[in-house]
Amino acid sequence: MVVYRRGNRRSVLILLFVTSITLITLDVRGSGPITGARGVAHDVVAPIATVADKVFSPVGDWVGGVTRAGTLKDENSRLRKELDELRGKAAQNRAFESENEELSKLLDLPYTEDSDAIAARVVSGSPGNFEWTVQIDRGTSDGVAEGMAVVTGAGLVGRIVEASGDRATALLLRDPKSGVAVVTESARTTGVAQGRTGESTLRLDFVDPTANVDEGELVFTSGRDNSRFPPSIPVARVEKVAKKRGELQQDIVLAPLVDLDSLEFVKVLRSPTAAPTEPATGEDAPTP
Amino acid sequence: MTWLVRLKLAALVLTTVVLQTTLFPDLRLFGVAPDLVLVATIAVASRVGPETGAVYGFASGLVIDLFLQTPLGLSALSFAVVAYGIGILHTGLSRTPRFIAAMLGGAGGLAGGLIFVVLAALAGEDQVIAFRTIWVLVLAAVYDALLAVPMFPVARWAVGSTGAETPAIRGARST
Repeated sequence: MVVYRRGNRRSVLILLFVTSITLITLDVRGSGPITGARGVAHDVVAPIATVADKVFSPVGDWVGGVTRAGTLKDENSRLRKELDELRGKAAQNRAFESENEELSKLLDLPYTEDSDAIAARVVSGSPGNFEWTVQIDRGTSDGVAEGMAVVTGAGLVGRIVEASGDRATALLLRDPKSGVAVVTESARTTGVAQGRTGESTLRLDFVDPTANVDEGELVFTSGRDNSRFPPSIPVARVEKVAKKRGELQQDIVLAPLVDLDSLEFVKVLRSPTAAPTEPATGEDAPTP
Repeated sequence: MTWLVRLKLAALVLTTVVLQTTLFPDLRLFGVAPDLVLVATIAVASRVGPETGAVYGFASGLVIDLFLQTPLGLSALSFAVVAYGIGILHTGLSRTPRFIAAMLGGAGGLAGGLIFVVLAALAGEDQVIAFRTIWVLVLAAVYDALLAVPMFPVARWAVGSTGAETPAIRGARST
């Protein structure tokens, strides 16, 4: 028969409880050593994770393919149609590109394409159910740092929240902790595109209640004041606008332009603008 | 507990953390991933009892916390409490019911998820306060219950006969 001493039992649990609460408090307050410990853990596990990823990625791809088989067929035909349209537009855009570059130089505006971009592969998603992040195979040794914007050809993906030697974690737009200062396409109204718990869409907050925002128009990063994102990166499309009489806020839902569920390759932008000292209203607070 | 058992348990922590961070993000069912590290904690706690189980749960939770954006210590505390509870529960069992692994995996997974959510909300992680959280907890618990079936033999291998065996295990061994 196994006899457990009650006092010893309690002391173990109390010790673990106190240690956990101390760690939680230190991390919430933004303790440097804890951030460092996360980086070390990523670096230690990175070589094993790289091998494991190579072994397991076919399994993940297969499961992903099986569970999304129905939608993939529709998506394929839709994408073919879009590709044809985009090929035509791309040819037209070439002419505008050089003109735009010249004008930007004349006006001395920060130009997104001038950003030094680091190409990276998405190696895994979030291991938890309450955060929306991806891990990329580039880290501080490649020049990736916290706060940098992450994009694909379609638009903004999110920002780097943690970087170790060979890996970095990007917080996706849809994470509730993510907020991006944006400007609307037509009315040039500013707001903050905010992630929503468990939703694939975003909410546009802090918009002038009298502003005219139309469904279907795009929103771009504003790059204004001390925003951490360079300006003019496409972020999302306005999906729904509900304006109720007497209410001080419009209910605006945005659909991200990037398919955040099937990210494979991304680019990390080294912003040409100086690092922000203060966040724009409602945007993510800078990491200390 | 011998050094070999400690070494095996450390290897189990590392293996489950690597699987949780590489394989399971791609094996989500309806957008929900299981918690393999928690399942391993439950399996180990059912073999070694409350104290050692709680220490294992704390250690494994701390390691997985390093890979999450939620505050460090949340999973550690949740896993330690669940392991302690599972250890006590299993100690009190006079015989091992059928499907014990799935039952403990499901119940422990649900309890662990609930404790994590409550602690996260208290720590200011507002993203966990949503209707979807109920769905996530229930589905993850079902997933955990399924994973517990192969995980219990692994824990048995890791702990061997040197762990603080519970009366239920002794009973099962003697029959």
